Amino acid sequence: MSGHEMSGRDESAGDATLFLRATQELSANGQVDVRVNSLDVGLGGVTAESIAVESWKPGIASVPIRGDRLKVRSFYFPQTGGWREKFAAAQGAKSASPAGDAKSPASADEASPKSAAPKTATRIAPPRDVVKLEDRLYYVLQPPLESVFTGGALEFPFTPFPYQFEGIAFLYPRFAAVLADEMGLGKTMQAITTIRLLLHAGEIRNVLLVCPKPLVTNWQREFQTWAGELPLTIIEGDQAKRRWQWHQSESPVKIANYEVVVRDRDIIDDDGLKFDLAVLDESQRIKNRSGTTSEVVRSIRRTRSWALTGTPVENSADDLVGIFEFLQPGYLTPGMKPRRMGTLAADYIIRRTKDKVLTDLPPKMFRDVEIELTAAQRETYRIAEEEGVLRLTDMGPGLTIQHVFELVMRLKQVCNFDPLTGESAKLERLEADLEEVVAGGRKALVFSQWVETLEQIGERLGHLNPLYYHGQIPSPKRDPILKRFKEDKNCPVLLMSYGAGAVGLNLQFAGYVFLYDRWWNPAVEDQAINRAHRIGAAGPVTVTRFVAADTIEQRIDQVLREKRELFDTMFSDVEPSSARSGLTHDEIFGLFKLRSPQGPIKFAA
Amino acid sequence: MGSGDRSAAVGGFYTVFRHEQHGLFGGLLLLNRNGRPLEFHCTAPIKPNRAQEILYGASLESYLHGEAIGAALLAKASAPPTFVCVETPAALAVREFIEAPVAMIVADAQPEAEDRPLFRVDAAHERGLHSVTFGSRRLALAKRFAADEKPLAEQLATLPEHFDLAEPFARIRGAIEEAQRSGR
Repeated sequence: MSGHEMSGRDESAGDATLFLRATQELSANGQVDVRVNSLDVGLGGVTAESIAVESWKPGIASVPIRGDRLKVRSFYFPQTGGWREKFAAAQGAKSASPAGDAKSPASADEASPKSAAPKTATRIAPPRDVVKLEDRLYYVLQPPLESVFTGGALEFPFTPFPYQFEGIAFLYPRFAAVLADEMGLGKTMQAITTIRLLLHAGEIRNVLLVCPKPLVTNWQREFQTWAGELPLTIIEGDQAKRRWQWHQSESPVKIANYEVVVRDRDIIDDDGLKFDLAVLDESQRIKNRSGTTSEVVRSIRRTRSWALTGTPVENSADDLVGIFEFLQPGYLTPGMKPRRMGTLAADYIIRRTKDKVLTDLPPKMFRDVEIELTAAQRETYRIAEEEGVLRLTDMGPGLTIQHVFELVMRLKQVCNFDPLTGESAKLERLEADLEEVVAGGRKALVFSQWVETLEQIGERLGHLNPLYYHGQIPSPKRDPILKRFKEDKNCPVLLMSYGAGAVGLNLQFAGYVFLYDRWWNPAVEDQAINRAHRIGAAGPVTVTRFVAADTIEQRIDQVLREKRELFDTMFSDVEPSSARSGLTHDEIFGLFKLRSPQGPIKFAA
Repeated sequence: MGSGDRSAAVGGFYTVFRHEQHGLFGGLLLLNRNGRPLEFHCTAPIKPNRAQEILYGASLESYLHGEAIGAALLAKASAPPTFVCVETPAALAVREFIEAPVAMIVADAQPEAEDRPLFRVDAAHERGLHSVTFGSRRLALAKRFAADEKPLAEQLATLPEHFDLAEPFARIRGAIEEAQRSGR
């Protein structure tokens, strides 16, 4: 390369003024050879030592320009085959696409154009417990989730809400996570979509989903909606069939109810089954750490553990310990202060409430209706309470919390119906309200904790053709009841028990919810209310809570309020001044102004 | 979310950004056609010394973006990308070191464009940009490599319609920040 002459003042050098007369040549080795003819001022950044100037003859100075070789860090990400490839391999040539899946989307890497471009860009952030930089970058460098939806690689029936994208981004990288959104925000869809993405990415190969028995068909339906191409195995039937199903490897997702999992613990243990992901729906089922259900699900061999619940804390902060024993044994311990527990668990839990994320969801309005018992009811109630308290007092040291509960139940039943006369002040009010609801062309859910109460209500409301949905109705008959309630204009009222109707059902077409009696904890009541108040609700949901004045129901109502305060302490930044850590045995006995005759009694809702 | 084999890599996304304290960081992200990461390469920070500033003069920017950083990153790729997207004209200089089209993303609206420093593509070569439009995508090539238009069009045609060519740069910045954090 031929050189060229540099001479005079270099204006481009900014504040450094340089006067030199030199020629420069770019040599093959990347250095600039500067032949200095005269040098008036030192070269900025170049020391005198690095330029040997010989005054008595033209000097040669070599200025290293390029410096050391630039250090580069490289990360190569694993490219494993997705679920479909494994499935195809297992199926051989016959499974170019899953059998019977006409609307099966293309594989994750087979794109097709799709609808409107995303407006948000939700990125996956690595959780704190992912330590290796390579692993963290793998998540940081993933495309925004919205691009998966609009890119056409997978088909989705609806575009999720932004907060749902955030939920998916939360679950995706986590090996231990609690999705604790308030009921009605779409935990099911978020879990299914994340499972689907992980399966297609090849990050997981087999999933076990455990849920309460009444929700199995709901999950099945939601999988068909949100991940129609994924074959499912529902674990059910006799033992031989179930054993075969547990070992069935052609579908990546198995769904089992809690009872089946407990019943098949030997199959799961002895046959060495292992899952890449185990998901517990309604995970409050394992809050009791010493229970068999908890013990069995904790023994399932798995790599990732997720818990889904709208109520991570129902009664006391220790409920969360039970869930974490499944996720991260020993991480939380019983007796920890709620605030401390909330801080430790923060990176593992995501919880959103409707009022924060669904600002366009119709409002939920509460009416607390204080009912004056009829004269006959009041008299029956008075006698029952006085005799009951007397009996409890007489029991002395033999008194247990169970005895107190029995009295509470009896009094609550009197508040519903007078057992002697059949009178019910609540029913009179309910009937009047329902007449109005039905006249307006709307539908209503009525909740009670007793099937007998529901039947008594049903007899009186025969002209409204009420439908029943409770634990005594066999599972196969339940879905048709819900279908009829939804579609039949002549059936505007559904009478439900808290146990059967509180979780997982989508009844957003019902604009009214009546709580005929109150459950022991607010979480269950919230679950019931949110059957109607959830995504898709066409209008406001009105919740009517009946409370019989001057009865045990009012005292329980006070307890429920205090439980809500506990929840707020753990899952909000603002600590209420009167926050409580749960019910003490004295408080339970205090319902009747009784003193506890013995040590602490564990409260079981 | 990654899947598919490495040979499916098509896109290289290369950018350089300046950190007040440390200097210039370069990042190269290789993606498959669905935008999923296959490889990521990033440089340690580099600061031109005074001699470089003086002796390279106006060509310093393209030297740094092209040869010093870009070429070093491309050398680490397990397979050369079939095209490379860049954010600034200076980075187009990396085309000298790869036999694949290198195109600058032109944003639809650049309200901040007036605030951006002006770059010379390469003082040693013909100045100017060659603008191209493929559907809704607006790009620019170094004029010297205007003939890349056709092969670039062929490569872009293989991408999904909604593949956002500007989006991966945010990932690169996020990754470099993450790497910086982990290095502290």
